[in-house]
Amino acid sequence: MKKVLDSFRNRKVSASSILSRKEIALFRNSPKQFMCVEMLQDGYHRSFSELFTLLRTDVEQRANAPPRSPRLQEPPLADQREKLETIRLHLCRAEKAERDGAWTAVCEERLHLGRYFTHPMDLWLSFHFYHSCADRVFGGRSKSATEARFHLAELYRQQGDLLEARDHAERALKQAEDGGWLDPEGRPLRLWGCRELGEIYSLLGEAYLAAQDYDTATMLLQLGSKMAIEGGDKSVEAESFFREGMGLQSSGDHQAAMELFNICAELFGSLQDVKGLVKSYKAIAKSLESEGNIEECIKILEKAADLCQISDLQELLADISLTLGCIYSDVNRPLKSCEYFLQSYKAACTAREVVLQHKAQVKLGHTSVHALIKSYNSEMETPSLTSVKRLVDWKETRGHQDFC
Amino acid sequence: MEPDEPGTSAVATEIMPLAFAKGKEKYCELCQREAYLQCAKCQVTFYCNADHQQADWVGVHERICQMLVSIRTMKDIYDPAVRKRNQLRKTHLIKICKLVAQSKLSEGKHEEALPAAHCCLQTSIDLYGPNTIQLVPAYILLAEANMGLGNLAVVAELLSQAEWAVLKNPELGASIQQQLHRSLGHFHTSVGNLETALHHFSNDIYFACEEYGLDSSATTKGYFLIANVFNRQGKATIVHSLYSEVAERWHKHLNSLLETHQKHADSSVSFYEKAQRVEMEEMLRVMLEFEQKQSRRDAALIALIAYNLAMLWFINGDFHKTQDFGSTALQASLQIPKHKLTEPIQELLQQVESLQTEPQPGSD
Repeated sequence: MKKVLDSFRNRKVSASSILSRKEIALFRNSPKQFMCVEMLQDGYHRSFSELFTLLRTDVEQRANAPPRSPRLQEPPLADQREKLETIRLHLCRAEKAERDGAWTAVCEERLHLGRYFTHPMDLWLSFHFYHSCADRVFGGRSKSATEARFHLAELYRQQGDLLEARDHAERALKQAEDGGWLDPEGRPLRLWGCRELGEIYSLLGEAYLAAQDYDTATMLLQLGSKMAIEGGDKSVEAESFFREGMGLQSSGDHQAAMELFNICAELFGSLQDVKGLVKSYKAIAKSLESEGNIEECIKILEKAADLCQISDLQELLADISLTLGCIYSDVNRPLKSCEYFLQSYKAACTAREVVLQHKAQVKLGHTSVHALIKSYNSEMETPSLTSVKRLVDWKETRGHQDFC
Repeated sequence: MEPDEPGTSAVATEIMPLAFAKGKEKYCELCQREAYLQCAKCQVTFYCNADHQQADWVGVHERICQMLVSIRTMKDIYDPAVRKRNQLRKTHLIKICKLVAQSKLSEGKHEEALPAAHCCLQTSIDLYGPNTIQLVPAYILLAEANMGLGNLAVVAELLSQAEWAVLKNPELGASIQQQLHRSLGHFHTSVGNLETALHHFSNDIYFACEEYGLDSSATTKGYFLIANVFNRQGKATIVHSLYSEVAERWHKHLNSLLETHQKHADSSVSFYEKAQRVEMEEMLRVMLEFEQKQSRRDAALIALIAYNLAMLWFINGDFHKTQDFGSTALQASLQIPKHKLTEPIQELLQQVESLQTEPQPGSD
């Protein structure tokens, strides 16, 4: 017994069992306090003030968000340890580089931070870091800053702010041209700019088209296609050609539009993009219809419908079948017309598209009735007792005749 | 029976300890030893010798003499109304002691602040109990007084008591935590534990930001204090960066002060404002010295700091010093082509010159 007591008295407390001040703080303090204190202890006070302001902004945004909005689904930034840790690491590195005068390193760290935040609710953080990278006085024309500006243009475009996007994309393209840098895959950075600008110009053109400002629209759409060709990305090219074609179609130049749509169809085909292909076929058909070439129109639409069937694109199938049905009923072929209307109705049901469903139902009913009554048309027009009798007979004996 | 010096001390009468009943021994107000003197005016305060009596009179007793009478006389403490009144009196006493102690500390009279701080602490313990959070400000005050005198062991004990009280109450407000961390930071710097000091000053800045905001003067002072620790560690780049931040902040503050000063030249200055200006002046002086000693002199920062000092002395009314610092600032700013401060500095110097050559400066 005494020996045990002695050993307790004499035993030294091993150094590993005492927690250091840092470990204690890690558990006891909130993540926000821990990060802030760490940054200040290492002397990075500007990173501290930046983080502090970001956290304040987060709190304010959450306070202003309406209840049960998606902004409030995530926990507040002050509680997300990994994000705070990443911010701290890169901001401290950026501050150290700033003190040493290494501007490119500063931009790189900020670019990294901008790329890190991918969650849709964290977009404001991405914006903050990209702006802080691209808008710098020293180092604002470096490669990282240019990349940041491209990212900004992309983000603004995705959010729908096309004018800002255009502004940033143009500036970034100029910088990329001056710099002549390569992106990680070895292609020149300016091609990214061309692609972005292509998208932006054609989207802007679409907007002007909707506002019926045809001149600006055509100019922008053409510019968009030109940039897209330079950019070298086939899908962007195809999309911009498509939009340009739609523009030409609405202004009435169907020949040129059809040429463009054919090119689109080729590009989409090479990209195996069935939706795009179907889209272009539909547009070609519309142009052919306006020109009066119904045969070709029907052929193309049937080709498109088959494609939809094969790739199981129910909504598009519903749409195209509806169009086909309308055309057939216009050329007085009710059987074919009803066939397509029924196909459209079935596809709309599968795709749960209520509007298309209703349309298909109405058209189907309309056409079938007309086809049915056609044989009895003469009876209906002559106002004699025999014709009425025959009509009544027919009504009683007819039952539910199935057309298709 | 002691000679009565007019206006400086109270009359003290001698007492015989043996004359008191058992259990009613009296102890000295300041050192808690056996008491031989009694204050003639209130008769409830006791001292062991004339020195302590004089020190207490100068420290705080002159102001609280009569208040102590009602608090310390044993009365009927079972009546809740009487008890409530007693508590209110004690709270009032604590407040007065705190004010006295703080004013003496800001004047730098640490020795004289001791009696007030002691009284504050004792009354707080009396009122709130031994280990409660309301004692923390009293502990911090006493620790500051002792730190000025260099009694570091006492300071260590007081601050650990305060830290314990804070640890037991984690939901404490940020302001008290901030004050505590600042005192701890000061203490560890004096002792030489620079890493611990850094930890405490970082916490101090964090809580100051939480409580008062990122741009407040408390945060700026915090930056300055942590820069001092980095200075002692020898990390000049960090110090430089922190000093430029502090200088920028004071620049903004002084600009606004200068504008209001130029609009109302004779506005009276509050006590708090005066104290802040004294602190600001000291901070700026220390920063200027540091920057001027650097091998790679940052002319922009020197210009900024010197201009800040010039503005401060202009507002205080000392034109000679304004011109001194103004010329230093001008020299430094001229070294940088097209520096944005050159014009304001020249304007200020011209203003000073015109005010000095006027026959009656100031009154318009």
